[in-house]
Amino acid sequence: MYTFGIDIGSTTSKCVVLKDGTEIVSSSLFVGGIGTKSPFLAREEALKKAGITDKDISGTAATGYGRNRTEDADFNVSELSCHALGAHFIFPRVRTIIDIGGQDAKVISLSGDGKMRDFLMNDKCAAGTGRFLDVMAAILQVPVNEMEGMAQKAQKISQISSTCTVFAESEVISQLANGVEMPDLIAGICDSVAGRVASLAKRITIVPEVCMSGGVARNGGVRLAMERYLGTEIRFSEQAQLFGAIGAALYAFQKS
Amino acid sequence: MSVKEILGRFHEIAADPKAMKDKYLSEGREIVLVNYYTPEEIVHSMGAVPMGAWGADVKINEAKKYFPTFICSIVQSAVELGMKGEYAGAKAFIIPSLCDSLKVMGQNWKVAVPSIKFIPMTYPQNRKPEYGAQFTKAGYERVISELEELGLPRFSDEKLKASLSVYEEHNRVMNEVSELMASHPEISNQERSDVFKSAFFMLKEEHTALVKELINALKEQKPGTDKLKIMTSGIICDAPDILKILDENGLQIVCDDVCTETRQYRASYKEKATALDSLVSKFCDMDQDTLLYDADKTRIDYIVEKAKKTGAKGVLLLLTKFCDPEEFDAPMIRKACEKAGLSVNIIEIDRQMVNYEQARTSIETFRDLLNG
Repeated sequence: MYTFGIDIGSTTSKCVVLKDGTEIVSSSLFVGGIGTKSPFLAREEALKKAGITDKDISGTAATGYGRNRTEDADFNVSELSCHALGAHFIFPRVRTIIDIGGQDAKVISLSGDGKMRDFLMNDKCAAGTGRFLDVMAAILQVPVNEMEGMAQKAQKISQISSTCTVFAESEVISQLANGVEMPDLIAGICDSVAGRVASLAKRITIVPEVCMSGGVARNGGVRLAMERYLGTEIRFSEQAQLFGAIGAALYAFQKS
Repeated sequence: MSVKEILGRFHEIAADPKAMKDKYLSEGREIVLVNYYTPEEIVHSMGAVPMGAWGADVKINEAKKYFPTFICSIVQSAVELGMKGEYAGAKAFIIPSLCDSLKVMGQNWKVAVPSIKFIPMTYPQNRKPEYGAQFTKAGYERVISELEELGLPRFSDEKLKASLSVYEEHNRVMNEVSELMASHPEISNQERSDVFKSAFFMLKEEHTALVKELINALKEQKPGTDKLKIMTSGIICDAPDILKILDENGLQIVCDDVCTETRQYRASYKEKATALDSLVSKFCDMDQDTLLYDADKTRIDYIVEKAKKTGAKGVLLLLTKFCDPEEFDAPMIRKACEKAGLSVNIIEIDRQMVNYEQARTSIETFRDLLNG
């Protein structure tokens, strides 16, 4: 039995085809979220990669901020519930999930059997989210995916004292004007995101294993800084950005 | 009237307080604005209509010139409404000194809305000792004197005694209807909110009569199918979008610790030498409240016990943005609830919310959490 999970976020659309609730057959990721063609394109590509059509799908679950606008979904599920399912699928011993997406950050605590036992979401603020990294990357004219590599070359991590994206933007510009090296500045930016989200995570008891999900999980600079702040290893999977879609496909399997 | 018709009447009143204000004005009644624990019984006893002024979900433009950016939107929106003439015709606004934002509000009101007199009600920090009661009484006497100066009929302790009876009965029916609504899941969270909110815009004897009609009609109605029971806590819980999201997710508010809801009806009057002393005793006996000094933080245990008693599976904490007293209590509430096996969800709200998607995600996840 094939089930389909689609995660329509604020900046990307992700799809997963799951077979019998155990095997990821295909996945896709398109830049562009709610209100773009990306959800449709991601769906088409995931089906094509799996070599199946709509008719072969027994159930579809949608998650992410665009979940309620997905007409062909049988279920709409909150992204926290899906990230919990998806992360537990990839890391069966995970107890704490830190999800940093395009416009928000969430921390989910799981019980030993993988059930969600608590969660927290960030305030309505871009600080500590992927948006913060996007804004800073634009100022520095560095592609987001190159930030990790540059951060690793840092000699002295610069301090971004403000937690507000708008104020931090002018702070970064001032530091550039003062001749701070780009790698040091980028490491400081990653550190700022990690510090902000770590303070949210500490409101929930951090129980290892800890993993990160969402697009920002791909940034090793943020992951390393997060490990420093939380004092624990952060598990990472190349599929971290797909945890929501995997969870949605699992949910559809459980309900179909 | 049927339950639906009565609830429809509550909704009309809660959704359009200006219509109620205009109705009372057309009847030749004086209006005095009140909010957090204002001694509205005094206003009532002097023949005026005490009308709640808790702001509203409006875009705040004009009032911003009087306030810093990071301040409670309840007080900001109340001043905005005042500046835009929504309270036109009201004689005065009694503003208490119970939090830093309210203190600022009083001063700003005086300048921003000069047509409606600002009457301060300064409460003591320590209300339990005898000197706290004396301080409170002196504050009430000042309010009385300012109302008399405005031309309201002279204060009489005898008339206050009669008003206390009206308010005592109102307290009783509000507590009764609150419990009764908890056993009727077919009543939506919006309808429940309307019952509480409308109380601020009606004379209490009129509201009591309508609530009694609801109680009688509900007793004849078979309760609907059970929903997931939750408790709410915070300063306000009247945003239609939040209430709708709760309804859509099958969550039923069975009890609350909300300032504009049952917190208003917890304390009653003690028998004292004068009615004014009885009124003072009510304020001094109030407890478990964010805005009232409480060194032992009894509010925390109250929430846990109330939730357990009513069968609520979780507590939804609606944290008013920039409300320091509420924010200080939040971590303690979370810990106490966790210890008691209750799930907690914290949502930040204010009077200027236009996008509820983050709140929707949070509430949906809360429902999933409660469903196990």
